[in-house]
Amino acid sequence: MATSSSRPYQGKTRYGAPNHEGRIWLFMRLTGLVMFITVVFHLLYMHMAVGVENITFDNIDARWSGPAGVFWRLFDASLLFIGMAHGMNGVRFSINDYVHNKILNFLLTAAVYGLGLFLILLGSLAIVLGAGGLGNLFQRLTG
Amino acid sequence: MAALVASIYRGISYRGAEGQWAWILHRASGLGIVLFLYMHIVSIFIAAIGPGPYAWVHATLYTSPPAKVLEVFLLFGVLYHAFNGMRIIIIDFFPALGKYQRTIVRIELVLVVVVLVPAAIITLRGIF
Repeated sequence: MATSSSRPYQGKTRYGAPNHEGRIWLFMRLTGLVMFITVVFHLLYMHMAVGVENITFDNIDARWSGPAGVFWRLFDASLLFIGMAHGMNGVRFSINDYVHNKILNFLLTAAVYGLGLFLILLGSLAIVLGAGGLGNLFQRLTG
Repeated sequence: MAALVASIYRGISYRGAEGQWAWILHRASGLGIVLFLYMHIVSIFIAAIGPGPYAWVHATLYTSPPAKVLEVFLLFGVLYHAFNGMRIIIIDFFPALGKYQRTIVRIELVLVVVVLVPAAIITLRGIF
């Protein structure tokens, strides 16, 4: 679109196949739409319906147990994975906006992604092993 | 660093009205939510060890009075980021609505306040 036409945008421009950043643009919108449902539900349910004071170890254990527990673990995993992917990308946008030194930009982005992947690993361990699962595993390992 | 300071200064001094402020708040709330997420994941990992660590995490990081005050900022950040994100998506896919973007920002802020106020009252009820 390197024309100097003064005609206003007609809304009929045909674009080619999206490039990498184009796909990330779509990814941010799709994950945003999904999280508008899941994260807002999680926030309002935990803060208004249940109340943060009432979220106890036994409640989490019960919620993560049985057949319904599989659903809630998958729901919590979706919050972890989608939230972190969307958030890491948002931090990358911010780094690209403010840090123009190529080496510093690369180091910061690598640090954010490294920390993000490490935290996704921690969160996944908690969800897979369940409430108390980490303590039980630790006790078994130490005899 | 100079680019960051210059960008923040331009962000505040540029008189871009609703759209500019909506963008600044979207970025600030997004980065704030990421910081909360880091804390949230590490604290859940610690809490998942067993009932003892859970009780400590729950008492200090989630239900102490300072935590309840920060929780209101979290509620605002998440609700604003969610509603503003929906506005961005709507205007991206229906560019003709860009004509009414100032009105849409104001409608969005009303929606955020309508959800935030009862949530904040429930959150702060315990400490006053």
